[in-house]
Amino acid sequence: MELSESVQKGLQSLADPSLFEPSGFRALTDAAFRSLLSGHADRRVLEDPALEHTERVLLKQCHAAATTCILEGVKHNADQSTISSCLEDLTFDAERIEIFSKSYQKHKEELEGVLANIGTQPPHINDASWRLQYHMKNGHVHKVNEPFYLLSLNVENAGLEGSAQDINFNCTVEQLQDLVGKMKDAAKSLEKASQM
Amino acid sequence: MLINEFGCLRKGDKSVLVKNLRVPDENAQLDASKLLYHIASSINARLANAYTAAGADETLVIFDCYNDEPSAKDHERRRRAGVGATEYKLTLNTPLPGREAVMKSTSNKTQLLRLLCTYDLPADKILLVNHMDCIVKHEEADIISYMLEAARGTHHTEVAEDVQSVKQFTSELIVEAVVRCVRVINPAMGGGLSPLLPPGMSARFRVGMSLAQACQDLGYKGEIGYQTFLYSNEPEIRSLLMFLVEKLPRESAEASDQPAGKSAVLQRAIAAQIKAQLALPWLPPNCRLPLLCKTQSAGPSLSFRAQPLSLPYSTKSTGKTPPREVMEYRRDVLLPVTAQPSHQGAMVASLLQQHTAELSAAQEWDSEWNSQGLLSRLTPEEYRSRKLTRLHKRIKEQLRSASSDPSQESSSGVSGSSSDLAQLLLSFQGSAPGDHLLPKGTHFTHTQKFTFTQDPGVLVQQMAAVASSMPLGGKSEGEVQASQQEELASLEEKLQQVALHIDQLTDHMKQMNLTVAQVTNELKDRELGNQEKAGTRLVKKQTVDLLPDAENNLAKLQMLVEGSAQRVVSLASQWEKHRTPLIEEHRRLKELCTNQDMESSRQLSEIKELHEKIRESAEKAKKKETLYKQLIAELENLPKDVSRSAYTLRILEIVGNIKKQKEEITKILSDTKELQKEINNLTGKLDRTFAVTDELVFKDAKKDESVRKSYKYLAALHENCNQLIQTIEDTGTILREIRDLEEQIETENGNKTVANLERILEDYKAIREENIALASKVREG
Repeated sequence: MELSESVQKGLQSLADPSLFEPSGFRALTDAAFRSLLSGHADRRVLEDPALEHTERVLLKQCHAAATTCILEGVKHNADQSTISSCLEDLTFDAERIEIFSKSYQKHKEELEGVLANIGTQPPHINDASWRLQYHMKNGHVHKVNEPFYLLSLNVENAGLEGSAQDINFNCTVEQLQDLVGKMKDAAKSLEKASQM
Repeated sequence: MLINEFGCLRKGDKSVLVKNLRVPDENAQLDASKLLYHIASSINARLANAYTAAGADETLVIFDCYNDEPSAKDHERRRRAGVGATEYKLTLNTPLPGREAVMKSTSNKTQLLRLLCTYDLPADKILLVNHMDCIVKHEEADIISYMLEAARGTHHTEVAEDVQSVKQFTSELIVEAVVRCVRVINPAMGGGLSPLLPPGMSARFRVGMSLAQACQDLGYKGEIGYQTFLYSNEPEIRSLLMFLVEKLPRESAEASDQPAGKSAVLQRAIAAQIKAQLALPWLPPNCRLPLLCKTQSAGPSLSFRAQPLSLPYSTKSTGKTPPREVMEYRRDVLLPVTAQPSHQGAMVASLLQQHTAELSAAQEWDSEWNSQGLLSRLTPEEYRSRKLTRLHKRIKEQLRSASSDPSQESSSGVSGSSSDLAQLLLSFQGSAPGDHLLPKGTHFTHTQKFTFTQDPGVLVQQMAAVASSMPLGGKSEGEVQASQQEELASLEEKLQQVALHIDQLTDHMKQMNLTVAQVTNELKDRELGNQEKAGTRLVKKQTVDLLPDAENNLAKLQMLVEGSAQRVVSLASQWEKHRTPLIEEHRRLKELCTNQDMESSRQLSEIKELHEKIRESAEKAKKKETLYKQLIAELENLPKDVSRSAYTLRILEIVGNIKKQKEEITKILSDTKELQKEINNLTGKLDRTFAVTDELVFKDAKKDESVRKSYKYLAALHENCNQLIQTIEDTGTILREIRDLEEQIETENGNKTVANLERILEDYKAIREENIALASKVREG
């Protein structure tokens, strides 16, 4: 895990006992995690009685550094020991490391969820129903006599949580076979990927 | 490393070997013990079924060897062997004991093997490879079987039915096996080699040579040449094949042995995650527990949209404190970073993006500073400011060239608005202080000027015309129209007149401008001429003044000239005096300067080297750290049951064995020594007794005739006995020699010398025939 110079500076001042008292440190750590996890932008996140005496610019700087550090840690899937050693390098004392890494461990999964939600996800198929139909003739050809399938895939859409949608389409036997073959291929390659 | 430190082919590696040799699937490898224990009743019946149940048209049966001699597989066997394995007496009709019981005891296994070998098999279907003699050890059995299978499976070469061990490999088989191995090890190298032996002798020789070369390129240390392949002998082929099999690449094993890089670790983690998720059953959305919700249902997905953040510090380390207003803004107005973006997803994305941008900028600066900045010998700030000014200049130039280009293009064209604008700008730029100094304006400016000056007059006229027409409101429309027409015509006329006038005036202007320029030039010329003339006049006037007292004045002038010449000389000498030390000083300083330059460049290169070293060591340290972590993780993952004690026990056993052997050797040695001593004793005794007897009898022989006879007998006896001993000794040496020779014969037999010689002879004949045929062809041709 690599941290930029400004983030390191911010964290170093956070580690400085002359700038942050233990209570202030705790409050700022909580505020950092809270601001990352709360769904809405809270502009009063830093207004805490324990942080009242601290200089505002420094406070904002340390807050930015702490949030960045937390996000980078979660992005790199850093475990508690990695975070601890990283903080140790930034002259944190044992008590502060303990406080920070404990709340990191506590919120890591939630933060992972937040990060995992970034990006696009294809809809998930929940169910499928089908019907076989027989095509006898059309406006141009007197005798077609081909079977075809009406398929309906019930999907769970990624964008809107819990909303189910139907995707309807029809296809010939060959197309259906192709689809099934491709799905089998996908399943197989997934399995292959799991056996690295 | 296919074979581990105990010389064993690991189970996992067998599959790799099979894969690499591309043994087709239908050639199934079956462990005999597996077969035996899947079919019921007594051994006899089981065997009959087992061999046929393998099902294939041809079956190769290869046996491991379970001799008493130490084998590489010992430790595996010892691992399998439990405590207190009972020994059985097996016959063809006893029921088969449990699998565990057989597997755990070597003696049971050996018995079972013997039974298997003695079983009467349908000879047409089943091929027993190395039965009974069991020369081939377990690890080799695997390899041989795979080789055979590989050869058989891909090219359907007729593997001779009686191939029982490496000993019976034919040249074709060897070549094919080696070529396939080489191809797997190094596709580029193996590509040019054909696995089939050509019929022609010389071609065969060439194939052999190229194969030998390929093997040597792969690093084979032993003796190798075309003869290895064409006239094979067992030990050579065996060692070659072992070497090649050892060289076969193992992807999976490598991954576990060599600590992989970051990406491999990540991939493994991904694989593990996928596996875990695959293991969970799928549940419909309504039944999902919160734990499953995370992986199985699609959460709200937000695209990665970063927004610029305003940070409470400046990312550029300028070292200056920002102005008071900025500080106030930061203190009072600026929101915390997490509150700045409009929603949460953007917040996370923006923070990550901001950080990555900072990191990459720092990296870029680092690399630039190391490559160019250090060489410029400036402080970082100076370097930055210089770069800034350079960039500014570049931008200015770019802008200028971009703005001047289109004006040049379109000034030649018809439309003039943009070009006029540009020219206007240019003219403003060039002639802002004194517009009238620039006699040539553009057409546009002139017309503009004129229209602006003319306009008021025209307006007044128009106003007057309108005013005059106003009171006459009572007139009929036709009249009004007519009057308007008239007015229009007159106005147009006026306009034309004015335009004409303007044109005339412009022409006039131009002419005047031209004449003005000419006149100014003329004036300047005249003035110059005037000055020159004034100068000559002055000189002439002075000379004229001096003329009356010519002699005196001449002398004075000469004095003056001489004085000034002297002064020049003295000044020159003075200058010389000052100059030399100055020049020396200059030289010294120059030298100093170059020295310093060199010194600084040396230091610079040193600094660069140091930087490089630092980076390298940092990288190394990082790599080692990750390696260490990985190894620790691997160590934790390793099974704990393989304890040290087992190995130490094994080592101790081996040591005990060696000790025992040593004792035996010393015993035998001491026995031999004792025997030697006894023999020596006896010969000494014999000699002494003989001497005494000889003396006694000789004394008596002088007196008595019969004693003389007995003395003769004695001498004869002694001689005969000596001869006898000699013969016995000779027999001993001959016996030893015979044994040596027998051994030699055996080894020679092992090398298939006779067969090889015969084949060499045949090949020789073939080559000769080929040569003769070629020669005849040449002659015919």
